[in-house]
Amino acid sequence: MRNIINQFEEILLSGLLAFMTVLTFIQVVLRYIFNTGWVWSLEATTYSFGALVLIGMAYGVRTRSHIAVDMFTRRLSPKLNRAVILFVVAVCLVYCALMFYGATTLVNRLYVLGNNARDIPAPKWLLTIFMPLGFLLLSGRFVEAGLKAYRGDLGALVPTEEERLHTDTKMNEDNAGDLAK
Amino acid sequence: MSALFLLFLLFLFMLIGVPVAVSLGLSSITTILMFGNQSLTSLAQKFFHTMQVYPLLAIPFFILAGTFLTTGGVARRMIDFANAIVGHFRGGLALAALLASAFFAAVSGSAPATVVAVGSVMMVGMIRSGYSKEFSAGLICNAGTLGILIPPSIVMVVYGAITETSIGKLFMAGVVPGVLLTAMMMITIGVIANKQDLPRQPRADFAKVWSTFREAGWGLLLIIIIMGGIYAGIFTPTEAAAVAAVYAFFIAVYVYRDIGLKSVPKVLIDASRTTVMLMFVIANAFMFAFVLTTLQIPHAATEYITGLGLPVWAFLLVLNFLLLAAGNFMEPTSVVLILTPIVFPIAMQLGIDPIHLGVLMVVNMQIGLVTPPVGLNLFVTAGVANMSLEDTIKAALPWLAVLLFALMLITYIPSISLALPNALGL
Repeated sequence: MRNIINQFEEILLSGLLAFMTVLTFIQVVLRYIFNTGWVWSLEATTYSFGALVLIGMAYGVRTRSHIAVDMFTRRLSPKLNRAVILFVVAVCLVYCALMFYGATTLVNRLYVLGNNARDIPAPKWLLTIFMPLGFLLLSGRFVEAGLKAYRGDLGALVPTEEERLHTDTKMNEDNAGDLAK
Repeated sequence: MSALFLLFLLFLFMLIGVPVAVSLGLSSITTILMFGNQSLTSLAQKFFHTMQVYPLLAIPFFILAGTFLTTGGVARRMIDFANAIVGHFRGGLALAALLASAFFAAVSGSAPATVVAVGSVMMVGMIRSGYSKEFSAGLICNAGTLGILIPPSIVMVVYGAITETSIGKLFMAGVVPGVLLTAMMMITIGVIANKQDLPRQPRADFAKVWSTFREAGWGLLLIIIIMGGIYAGIFTPTEAAAVAAVYAFFIAVYVYRDIGLKSVPKVLIDASRTTVMLMFVIANAFMFAFVLTTLQIPHAATEYITGLGLPVWAFLLVLNFLLLAAGNFMEPTSVVLILTPIVFPIAMQLGIDPIHLGVLMVVNMQIGLVTPPVGLNLFVTAGVANMSLEDTIKAALPWLAVLLFALMLITYIPSISLALPNALGL
């Protein structure tokens, strides 16, 4: 079950990015070669971008890719470090709760106004619903990270130095042999 | 009072290891709830609105383009081409390493990946040819930073989006400083090479130059498409970025064949992850900037600084120190996001050109990548060169002096940055 959710998350995120890229590219081609364009294109792109970032926030916690300054906490004793991490998770959860509240009232206000988006035939509140959803998912992942830290995984929230170097410098290696030479 | 509270909270959060994005967001929310009369709804709206800021749409596309071209194969092609054109000079391998780093960093958009991809190959070659390990490591470490100045540069997109300055103009303004920095580092190599009598490579004949160019050219064309397209008015920077991403896909999969079609989803998810990581910080930073303006903090800061009667040159000096210090602790985008809303109005009041200020900030961020304790390039170089961090820092120091000298030139001679965009009438 968990695997299915994780995979769905990845497919959704990469699908949104591919959609945005191709749509913007087609728009350039349409304008310069065929002298035409789709009015809904830009709005579809920006709302996809919003969905990508809002749903991706939680994915970022799972893959430990959010950046934090850990040069001070890293030097603490493991026990103290763990306490600090748990406190940090609590801070993150407060943030999620406040943002979730703000996002819900925003969606509610748009619902009451009842406006449609400018070019897409969909109500604005429906397109904005990714925001409360995103912060809900984010808080879930923070809780998960907190539990991992409680069980002693000190890299649960912020990657250790080595892990981060690994993600920062990772390359697309179908031809990994090249560098080994 | 509110300003102090906001900054205190921000630094406290960051210090204990709260993710930078959450630190920015929560300190903003708390401050506005205590001192402002804005609601959480308007903050949430500001957050959501960030993803509708048109220039910022360029970020996912540039990241995707870069991810497609971050391969060992692209690095090898850049190295071969660089070697063919500058290898026969004294210290040729070092010159080639520098040039290849500049090329690779520009198309991949990642300074640490440049150190790994170009550095790991070139360091082995240089040491084998009799270069000292310190010289090679220091060079590789610093050469990798050229990417954030040479367009396309994500830091510049961020700066342009916050200050509403033209990103096309910023890109153009980065060209001459980028060339200047590369040239200054080349001269340094030349001087050292003559003193230490470093070896040359055999001169490559024209056929070799042409064949390596045909290989590397496909990647380098990416920069030409972006810059040419923006300059000719064919597309906006955001569209240029989308075109670049599609172009990079074709080059990587069908021309270079470094990446198989089956690996494309992996590239997409990697690029999404980097995008989300950056945008999460940016969206929270937009709330932060919103809180700053509603509390009129930049206004107060401007009045305070101009009240001091500081001459422009002194302000620029202080600004450089501030940026260098901040760049030591945070990665480039976060520094630009936090400091720009405060510094920009002051600089405008003092009559500093917004484009010049942008270039200045980027060069400072570049230096931050190679200064301890957080300079990412230092860690990567230490890993690639198998040296201790202390030795890597020592090895990077002489090059840091070159970068600092260039920073002074770029700070006090605005026309280095502004001449090209002005001449092009942007």
